[in-house]
Amino acid sequence: MPADDAIISLIQAGRAGEAFERLMPAYRRRVFGLAYSLLRDRGAAEDTAQEVFVKLWQALPRYDGRAQLSTWIYAITRNAAISALRRRRRSVSLSDPLVEQEVESRGARPAAEPEDEGLWRAVGTLPDKQRQAVTLYYQEERTVEEVAAMMGLPVNTVKTHLHRARAALATALGAEGREDA
Amino acid sequence: MNSGESRQVELDTRLRRLHGGLDAGAGFEGRVMRRIATAATTAPRENLRAQFELRRTQLRRRLLREAWTSGITIMGIGACAFALLWRFAPDIQRAATGPSPLNDPNLLIGGTIAFLAGAIWFVFRRARG
Repeated sequence: MPADDAIISLIQAGRAGEAFERLMPAYRRRVFGLAYSLLRDRGAAEDTAQEVFVKLWQALPRYDGRAQLSTWIYAITRNAAISALRRRRRSVSLSDPLVEQEVESRGARPAAEPEDEGLWRAVGTLPDKQRQAVTLYYQEERTVEEVAAMMGLPVNTVKTHLHRARAALATALGAEGREDA
Repeated sequence: MNSGESRQVELDTRLRRLHGGLDAGAGFEGRVMRRIATAATTAPRENLRAQFELRRTQLRRRLLREAWTSGITIMGIGACAFALLWRFAPDIQRAATGPSPLNDPNLLIGGTIAFLAGAIWFVFRRARG
């Protein structure tokens, strides 16, 4: 990625501050999308994305280029999101499950058209990996290879997840269409 | 395009519409920079605290390990001493209650000379350095 090359050159020149200024707009959406795909909650995803960028700011001068910049950032994001999930599970187990369910259903939903409500519900019923692949693939015009890098999975596995997810969604929407009719 | 393909295209379009707007809220960069500013002021203090905690934990572990080792060593020496006492109890009793070897003047003089010779050798050896 050309933007990555410029960022890496700046880091190697000891200009980590400038590198970070370029990195944040280049990766903001991808970091947020990856966090959201794991957490399913806008607020939590934004908080995690902020945490990731703070970590990147601290760690950027030590980036040695052994892993690709994007791979390194995605790994940090996945770890931060998984930690946030663990924290949330611990706090959920201590609070009222009905309240948590309500909060989650409100926070999880991206801005969708009313006619897409059914589709949103169907996406929510997909297995975790399939739902994550769908979110990352359709958030931007991403390639399967990039989604695979973000998820830390082989390309063929992501292709399978996407194929199964599309089939499941088509079936769910078909059934919904028949019910409406 | 058959109906299956057109359904797939429609599904793709709807999924893009559903997920396309997924982005962090406005002012995200500003919020990150504020967190960085906070982290920059608290990080040295936090690092110091973390280092102190780490050292404390390491010291506690080392003391615990040493206590166990010392305890096991003392128990081993105690068991050996008890076994020796048990094994040589008649000899010890005889030595304690029988005539004392210190009553023999030759042994007393020889022992004193040997002790003095040893002490002089030790003093000379230390003086030479």
